[in-house]
Amino acid sequence: MMKRLLRILVRWPTERALLFACVLGLIALALMAAGVLLATPLPVVASMSVAQGIGVLACLLFGLSVAAEVAQRNPER
Amino acid sequence: MGSAATPFGALALAAAAAAAVLLLHHLIVRPKLGPGTRLKLLLGLAVFPFVAAVATTGSGMQRTTEREFCGSCHVMETHLSDLEDPNSLSLASRHGRNQQMGPHACYTCHADYGMLGYPLTKLTGMMHVYNYYLGGYRKMPLEEFHKEVRVAKPYPNTNCQQCHSGTLSSFANVRDHLGVLEELKANKVSCASAGCHGVAHRFSKRPEEL
Repeated sequence: MMKRLLRILVRWPTERALLFACVLGLIALALMAAGVLLATPLPVVASMSVAQGIGVLACLLFGLSVAAEVAQRNPER
Repeated sequence: MGSAATPFGALALAAAAAAAVLLLHHLIVRPKLGPGTRLKLLLGLAVFPFVAAVATTGSGMQRTTEREFCGSCHVMETHLSDLEDPNSLSLASRHGRNQQMGPHACYTCHADYGMLGYPLTKLTGMMHVYNYYLGGYRKMPLEEFHKEVRVAKPYPNTNCQQCHSGTLSSFANVRDHLGVLEELKANKVSCASAGCHGVAHRFSKRPEEL
């Protein structure tokens, strides 16, 4: 399991994943802002559910990219 | 401008704006990955969005208790306008004029009492959103809505008793109350029924229900 994860991390496209994470983060932030600014049922519900899900995904991509960077720096370990 | 003027709303917008600046900077400039860039991304993808998410949830929860929020769906427009009508004598309007309920009048009466009242009321609210957008209420004419749709379960008297405890002499000395005390406790007779204090939203009832 760990070996498989390491293999994925070594090949992980860090730069591209970070750019994708930034785009996802911006979408999540826009949805959250819409929930606050529009304050009608659908945007409010979306800001408390979909937006947070996308935000968590962006954060996970960032975490994986940091781990990948470490793994790629020391592939023999 | 929605909930932007509330403390939670302002905090959510400020945190979202700070995160957006950092993310846009990364997307446009595309700096080399170093400790500084990593720190900026940590702030833009984790720290500020986390603050924004918590504040958005606080702001959203607060917003869902406001009567303008309830009245923002067309099927609730008449409920809201009756509530805000200073000349209306309906049970709902008379309660809505009470300063203690003020902007949270719908929520104050319709939120269930007890420890689980808050989350259960929010879950019921989600059902309202589902019914409105996916259950056909959105396209339903107001007249049809008033004729066909009723509250999901009988209105519990314990909600009235959050304020009207029923322990003071002004309640206990009324013969009509004493006659149906057990039925009131068992919710077999509603405080807000014809013959008692009247239905809360008269305009939404068929003549035989009044």
